[in-house]
Amino acid sequence: MKQALKKAALAAACAGSLAATMQAQAANWLMLQGAEPSSAAGRAKVWGFLQPTYTSMKGTEVAAGGWNGSPAQFNMQPPHLSTSKGFDLRRARIGIRGQGFPLDPKVNYFFLAEFGSNGITWPNGGDGQARITDASVTLSHIPGARIRVGLFKTPMSEEMYQGIHVFDYINFTNFGFQQLLERFMTEDGSGAPGSAGVNAPNGPVNAVRDQGIQVFDTFKTGGWDTSYSLMVGNGNGINRADNNDQLDKYFYLSTEKVYAGKGPRVQSLKLYAWAISGKRDIIVTSAGTGVPERFDRKRNGIGMTFRKGAYRAAAEILRADGMIFAGTDGGAKAGSIGCCGAASGQPAGFNMLPDDKADAYYVHLGYAVTRALELDIRYDTMNRGTETDAGERKFTTTTLGAQWFFNLKTRLVVNYEIRDAEAPNLPSTDNANKILSEMDNRLSLQITSIF
Amino acid sequence: MFKIAAKGSALLIALAMTLGVVQNSVAADKPFAQKKIVLQISDPNPFKQTLVLNVANNLQKEYGVDGVEIEIVAFGPGLRLLFADNANKGRIQALASSGVEFRGCSNTKKNMAKKLGHPPVLNPIAKVEGPGVVRIVKLVTEEGYTLVKP
Repeated sequence: MKQALKKAALAAACAGSLAATMQAQAANWLMLQGAEPSSAAGRAKVWGFLQPTYTSMKGTEVAAGGWNGSPAQFNMQPPHLSTSKGFDLRRARIGIRGQGFPLDPKVNYFFLAEFGSNGITWPNGGDGQARITDASVTLSHIPGARIRVGLFKTPMSEEMYQGIHVFDYINFTNFGFQQLLERFMTEDGSGAPGSAGVNAPNGPVNAVRDQGIQVFDTFKTGGWDTSYSLMVGNGNGINRADNNDQLDKYFYLSTEKVYAGKGPRVQSLKLYAWAISGKRDIIVTSAGTGVPERFDRKRNGIGMTFRKGAYRAAAEILRADGMIFAGTDGGAKAGSIGCCGAASGQPAGFNMLPDDKADAYYVHLGYAVTRALELDIRYDTMNRGTETDAGERKFTTTTLGAQWFFNLKTRLVVNYEIRDAEAPNLPSTDNANKILSEMDNRLSLQITSIF
Repeated sequence: MFKIAAKGSALLIALAMTLGVVQNSVAADKPFAQKKIVLQISDPNPFKQTLVLNVANNLQKEYGVDGVEIEIVAFGPGLRLLFADNANKGRIQALASSGVEFRGCSNTKKNMAKKLGHPPVLNPIAKVEGPGVVRIVKLVTEEGYTLVKP
């Protein structure tokens, strides 16, 4: 009897401790990226991942307008835009993290560098250059207010904020790719080509990162892990100093019910909200002054994620106000020379709508058929340039996905994206609709290997 | 007279036996333990922390809580397991509740205090008496423990 009681007590204690362990390491990206397990992290853990990728589109050319017959930007493979199909090394990252002085668990660091082929390393398909994407130090001396300084991912939409090596898809949603992955431009491209020639980003994409200081932490209340983050940063991308004496402000709040497990694929229900507010200086070329004007850049969203047993789900509603990325002139590959009309002889450049808006949402559902096979489907839609009837564009993509896990660290992802775009307030005969209707579907395959 | 002496002797013997049982039960919390295991952790690799706790857990599953005496001796970089704020403190508490002993090294504690500028704050569950390696030698050579270093 006594033995049985002791065993029962042991089982209860083990269950309790297991639950405590799970809660202590509950997965949220704030903690996973900014902190280390207390007194249980190494001095320098080397880690990283590789993502060789194959992409295939038909490569349909621009079907109308001033750049008729040119390669369509959206039907080419970024960042080089030299082909519509082929292999590339989408990401190749290696990093080190840990507690530099292991006896002091209150200080940890995170370092990561990118060697792959993307908008970080090859902006505009130009000269390739490996870049540091993350380099931060976290100080955990104040209870409830950890402080992180340096270069790191800014809390925001789950799609972008999560560790990209566990992203269920290969390509981002339309809103994530266009409005959250920020391109920094000198001119908005609204007039004739300005002093900068072909209007294009003046540096790498921000990779949803910034240099700044963040206060954050997680609290356990009633079985929920509630996290907050407040941050200010330069708002000028990675590896660059501030350029306008205006700091971006970041706010993030989440609460997460953990069911089981830990780490990036924890089983949980999470609700979150976030907002970013900043200022950007850009030359409005149509104004003809050549002097930069200052505009707001605001982004915000509210969303949820769910993962339990074989089921996965996520949904988010997002909005953007100011500095709306608006693709290229006539949908042509940047640098293509116009054939006719006012565009004749003119190079196509990128465009920004500094004083416009966009809104979007996405829904993701997944089901693990077996331990090795997971099926996914995602629907996302974005309305861009909603302040004017003529400028509004609607992008809708349905992504069918399958993931095959060779093991816990290596998997194959296959995606087929059914892509549609339109100018909803313009007739179908308008050039904008003729061009957008030729957006190709996209097949992508990617191996992710984490080490 | 003889009868009284015999009764007195019997009483003394009974008392002595009772005391002996009490003494044994103090000396060993688990008198029915079939195995005595001392687990060493002296490695800086944080994975070893999880591993040593898993091994202790598995030993109890295999032999039963009362069937095995386990002592975890931490020294060198392994003493971090017994830091008060260690991420595994929940598991440590659970194992201690089921009879696992945790012992830290006094020499390591002193050396860490020199580097930190103050003594490390250890889990109150941990006993710190003398060098960890001496404790292991004593358990193995004098008390019949088997050393396991996961």
